[in-house]
Parts: sequence; C-alpha cells; structure tokens
Amino acid sequence: MSTLAGKVALITGSGDGMGRAHAILMAERGADIVVHDIKAQPAEQTAAAVRKLGRRVHVAVCDVADVAAVRRMAAEAASVMGHVDILVNNAGYGQRSETQAITEEDFDRMFAVHVKGSFFAAQAVIAGMKERRYGKIVNISSMWGMTGAPVAPHYCAAKAALLGFTKAWAKELAPWNIHVNAVAPGGVKSGGPIKLDSAETLKAKEARVPLKRYCEPVEIAYAVAYLASPEADFVTGQVISPNGGEVIVGY
Amino acid sequence: MMSDTASSMAGKVAWITGSGRGMGQAHAILLAERGADIVVHDVLVDEAKATAARIEALGRRVFLSHADVANATAMHDLVAQASRALGKIDVLVNNAGIGQHRSIEEITVEDFERMFSIHVKGSFFCGQAVMAGMKKQQSGKIINISSIWGMNGADTASHYCAAKTALLGLTKAWAKELAPWNIHVNAVCPGGVITEMPIKVQGWDKIRAKEKKVPLGRWAQPEEVSYAVAFLASGESDFITGQAISPNGGETIVGF
Repeated sequence: MSTLAGKVALITGSGDGMGRAHAILMAERGADIVVHDIKAQPAEQTAAAVRKLGRRVHVAVCDVADVAAVRRMAAEAASVMGHVDILVNNAGYGQRSETQAITEEDFDRMFAVHVKGSFFAAQAVIAGMKERRYGKIVNISSMWGMTGAPVAPHYCAAKAALLGFTKAWAKELAPWNIHVNAVAPGGVKSGGPIKLDSAETLKAKEARVPLKRYCEPVEIAYAVAYLASPEADFVTGQVISPNGGEVIVGY
Repeated sequence: MMSDTASSMAGKVAWITGSGRGMGQAHAILLAERGADIVVHDVLVDEAKATAARIEALGRRVFLSHADVANATAMHDLVAQASRALGKIDVLVNNAGIGQHRSIEEITVEDFERMFSIHVKGSFFCGQAVMAGMKKQQSGKIINISSIWGMNGADTASHYCAAKTALLGLTKAWAKELAPWNIHVNAVCPGGVITEMPIKVQGWDKIRAKEKKVPLGRWAQPEEVSYAVAFLASGESDFITGQAISPNGGETIVGF
C-alpha cells in the first residue's frame, strides 16, 4: 500500500527471521535492498528472494560490531545502490542468562552487536541522508527493552539503549528531515522462541498474551514498513510495539 | 499475498465520529480510498453531507448520522441503524472532539461537563454500542484519538488535556478487556495538525511560531494522522493492541 519505490533500505541481520521479513516486505513495496548478515549463505537466500521480486540487491557480509567493516558496508552500499534512504538496525541475538552467569565477554558482545553496531551503522549512513535531507532509521528494540524480564538483563538493557538512541537521534537529526523511530516486538514466531522454547513452553507463553498468540515475523515488518514509508513523515522519536497486548505502558 | 492485502480495507465498515471536517474527514476519505464503507457522523449537517458525497464519489457506501456523541442512547440507535444499512461495523474511530483554550479559573461547570461528555463519555458509549457486533464476529478495531496534550499536558485547557488522557486510559483497559474477542484497541495522539480549527482559533502567525518549536519544523497535514489511523484500522496491525502512535514531528518524545 505505502510505496517505497525508488528507496534503498539497508537492513542489518536480514539473513533470516524478522530481518528477512522486513527485507521481503519492503522489496514488495518497491524498495531496493542492502541485505546484511554476519553469515553469507542466509544473506544470499534473502537476496535471492528480493531479486525474485524484481528489486535490486546488494549483499554485505560482516559483523556489525566491527566498526570499520560497518563503515565499509555503508560506503559500498551507497556507491553500488546510489544512496541509502532507510536503515533498519535489526541485527541482534538473544542470550537467556541470569546476571550471575553473564561473563564479561557475554556482556561486551551483547552491547557491541546491539548498541555499538546500531550506533555506528547509523553514523555511517546519516551523512548521505543529511545531504539529501531525507532519511528513515528504524531501531529494532524489544518489549523486554521496555519492561525488563527475569532473565537476560544485558539484552534488556541493550534493547533499552536502542530506545535512548531513537529519542536522541530523533531530536538531533530532525533539522535534516531524518526520522528515527523504534519497533519493540513482543512474542514472534522466529529466532529465539522457536530455537529456545519447546512447543509446550511456547504455547504456555502464548496463553499469557491477551491476544493469545505470538505473531508472524511479517506482522513486525508491517510496523517497520509503515515507519520506513513517507506515510510516517511526521512520526519521529516514537515506539510502536506489536506485542498482542502483553505490554501496555507509558503515559 | 498476505502483505499486499493486509493494508486493504475492502469489505470493512468504518464508523468515524466527527468526520464532517478536519482530521475526521481525512480519516474517512483515506479509509474509503482503501476500500472501506463509511459511517459518516457529525453534528455539523452540511459538513457531514459534504464528506458523504466525497466518499460516495469514491464508489463506497455511506451511512450518514448527525446524532450527538454525548447521547448514549442515540449511539446505540446509530449502531443498530448503521449495521442494518451497511451490514456491520468493523472499525470505530473515536475522533469527535472540541478544543477550548481556557485557564483553570475560566473553565465553568458547563465547559467541564461538555469537554468530558463529548470526548470521554462519547467515546465510551460509542465503543460500548459497537462492541457487541465486534464480539460476535470475533474481530474489530477501535481507535481513540487522543492528543500530545493528553500525553504531557499543556499550560492551558486542562479539561481538554485530562479528557484526552482519559482516552488513553480507555485504550489500555479496553485492549485487555476485549482481547479475548480479537478486538484491537489503540490510540493515535496527534501533535500539531493544520486544520480549520487552529487556523480559526490561533491564526497563521501563531501556527508558524509553534511550527518552529517542533523538531521537524512543521505541523502535519490531516492525512499524516490518517495514515497512522489507517495502519491501526488494517490487518497489518493485528498484533498491536493497547498502544499509542503519536505523529507529532518529534515535539513529544516520552515513555520508553
């Protein structure tokens, strides 16, 4: 519905799960896609799906925690695709450890991927956005970044930090008409829950959601695509949380 | 394909209160453009008729009402009649409202009661009237139009601010109460929007000065609020309930 024709979207971690859903939905809506992942094979699979939709693709394989590599990725993406209009900071991972079990390596890696990775990916694309006086940054936070959880405090805090960037960048980048928002997914049938939970656990968790289900990745992609589109040109510094009513907060 | 059809409103019926002009009219027209039939509802008769004509010109069906939202009985009657005419109601947008720039001392009992009966009581009973049908069909969307002033207050119009905050309360409570029937309830909190009302009440000079204080340096066109409403009215937001979207140009950034 909302067209992304002529736009180029860089989606980190788009080799699988939600990232891939964002890439495919945005391609369906006309965007050319920079598919990024730390793994080459999944990235190529997403790229193939995007190409099938008739859109242009550039594939970047690197670790988002590697600042130099992220800068190279942004420069290459801009030179191959012409420009980057949309950045979706989606790359991330879960680790269900309790505080006492979290090592310094666990801690550093969690913040390096989610927080440092998102920061330097944004830093690398905003020069071009400022020049064109238009841009969209969508940070993928989490319901757990909003409310915390009894496990994975490093993950919760890293996802909360992404909300901090969202609000600060919305203000800093507004003079260049760059819009920065967050999507904070609740339960999604991808990644962590599918890998880490048994079918029974998943069912029990779904029963606690007011809408009684976890969502499909594309239902998160709809929120991302809305925020990435010109329809959201007056929306900045905000958070959309598709979470089935599990978390209702604020104000 | 799921992703191509989820934003479509084809086959849906949307009731937009206060859709004679301004943002309400913009919501009605956008939803009609996306395929919905519309219950056009406004106490302003000529304005409502004009909106209805534009929707019919889009090839969509219309049910027209001029009933007062503050009249609970009339809202139940409206739902019965509109459902007979259009088959059902899938979407309610509680948009009808008034503004009144008054200090605390200036607000009379009449001002106070009118403010709360239109925004809060009106929205409550429109919701109450429409939810029986939504429960029966196990699907529905209610969108309450709150305001950035309902999120963070203002130095005037405290009755308006509190009424708009009350709509956020209804949003969150209804999201929980109605989830078992797959009814999704969300709020949209507009920031500055260029409609007739502020142009008339404040004038362009004041609006231009206020636009400078918005990080994006401007107020929105009414359609920019409609896009958020249409997203929340569509199948694309079927996992979103109890949330608020605030198109405000970065003027209000709060919460998590």
